[in-house]
Amino acid sequence: MGSDSAERKLVREAQRGSREALTDLYAAHWRRAHRAAYLVVHDGAAAEDIAQDAFLAAIDALDRFDRRRPFGPWLHRIVVNRAIDWSRREALRRTVDDAGSQADASPPPDAVGEDLMAALGQLPVDQRAVVVLRYLLDYRPGEIGRMLELPRGTVNSRLRRALDRLGDLLGEVER
Amino acid sequence: MNEDRLRTQLGEAPVPGAEEAERRGRRLAEAAFEQRQPRDRRPALPRLALSLAAATLLAALLLTPAGAKVRGWVDEALTVGVDDAEPALTEIPGGGRLLVGTPHGSWMVQPDGSRRLLGSYPEATWSPRGLFVGASSGHTLSAVEPDGTVRWSLSADAPVADARWSPSGIRIAYRAGRALRVVAGDGTGDALLDRAVQPVAPAWLPLGPHLLAYVDGEGMLRVVNSDSGESVGSSPASRETAALDWAPDGSRLLEATPRALRVRDVAVGKLAAQLRLGPAHRVALPIGATVRSAAYSPDGRSLAVLLQRPARNRRPAHSELYLMDRDGATQRLFFTAPGLLSSLDWSPDGRRLLIAWPDADQWLFIPVEGRGRVRAIGGISQEFAPGQTGGGAFPLIDGWCCER
Repeated sequence: MGSDSAERKLVREAQRGSREALTDLYAAHWRRAHRAAYLVVHDGAAAEDIAQDAFLAAIDALDRFDRRRPFGPWLHRIVVNRAIDWSRREALRRTVDDAGSQADASPPPDAVGEDLMAALGQLPVDQRAVVVLRYLLDYRPGEIGRMLELPRGTVNSRLRRALDRLGDLLGEVER
Repeated sequence: MNEDRLRTQLGEAPVPGAEEAERRGRRLAEAAFEQRQPRDRRPALPRLALSLAAATLLAALLLTPAGAKVRGWVDEALTVGVDDAEPALTEIPGGGRLLVGTPHGSWMVQPDGSRRLLGSYPEATWSPRGLFVGASSGHTLSAVEPDGTVRWSLSADAPVADARWSPSGIRIAYRAGRALRVVAGDGTGDALLDRAVQPVAPAWLPLGPHLLAYVDGEGMLRVVNSDSGESVGSSPASRETAALDWAPDGSRLLEATPRALRVRDVAVGKLAAQLRLGPAHRVALPIGATVRSAAYSPDGRSLAVLLQRPARNRRPAHSELYLMDRDGATQRLFFTAPGLLSSLDWSPDGRRLLIAWPDADQWLFIPVEGRGRVRAIGGISQEFAPGQTGGGAFPLIDGWCCER
């Protein structure tokens, strides 16, 4: 991803109608946004929908976007909050339907990170979200708190619990 | 848990279908960007509507080349509609016959506008050549002749809904409670096809054998041979799928959700023993739009989509009709009107669309090609509530079928 000033320039040009600038913004942000969504929801189709929706929302709000603010955090906030909402709805749907079936999440195609994915899937969605924001997207706890409208202390405690649980789960897997 | 290791693994964990998703997302983003019109350079649309000033202004735009006048204004009472609407239904523009649903039952409308109450059926559907109507009420499914004579009936153990006649005319699929069942067109051989399906009307492949698409209880889109019960294709359905529609040549399957449209390529193998459902490509729609209805034209070249748009940027809530190519890649905003447009049906010859406009108590017959004018028929509620004062609930259009 380029510098903040380069990104501000891209946003400004996109606001003026430059398709090339939009394409560059997309190229800079899609993969991380899509990955973040997938790591939270563990469902390929839902992750794609969430990332698409976030970009569509960004395009729709382009005229109103404050160029002094960085684009990435704004997009990531949309992605992660929608991923949390989706996961909660999905959990509720499963409860109501009492389907008892496996998620239609497509398993990763090879073993790289498979243990981690399985362990992440054991965490509550609130913990998965802070883990993704902290360790994939590199936000600080205070920034994560603003994105999720949580006190910083709550973010820290969720991170701590998540790391402990991941350690337990991955240790069990590795034994 | 080591934080550095966690960072590395989160960054490297495979994301299924990432490359394809990125390509699809780019197409969608670019299409949405093309549709977006920067506020300071938004072009003036051809405005054939009148808008009269009030504290709040309604804008009514009509983009059809036919150019009828649409009026919307805010006064003590809200009135919208085409201002030269015909006061009564004296013929069906373009011919054919209509099935119309009301709280009192199903009506059949003849080409000359005459109508007959078929019976107290909340739902009805045409047989492929219009020789019969499949009608349901409570736990009963019936085949009814156009004069109202009941040819046969069957009783299910749960409420019947979403009956759909196969293109061959010799099978009817329907939902009974959570189950999906199929019965022969003569009322015999009623059989269970799936014990648990979602409340989505099944859709027959328009060509060839009796292949039926539906969404099962696990959210899978399935295509089964209704004669053998064998599954010939499946794929995860779009979430919240509310409707399915095949392109007439069977090469596309449309999945409509309240917020999105997705189109799949479909390849049918030899003898239709297998069928490949391609990935679902999302159609770019305006942000915040709700999909009210979508349907392929009879020739399969066009996809008509009816969207509801919320109030925004001083523009009140309104509806938009788009005509798209069969993949939704190229789009034309064809018609827009204040309030809610509630249903959409193609004429049998594909030359007109029938749109219901409950806020105006009108039906609109809109030519989609060539010349011609929009014909609006007013007083629709009263037409199907004889003897009542003030009209009834707005009638639903259940189908526009062939001449007999």
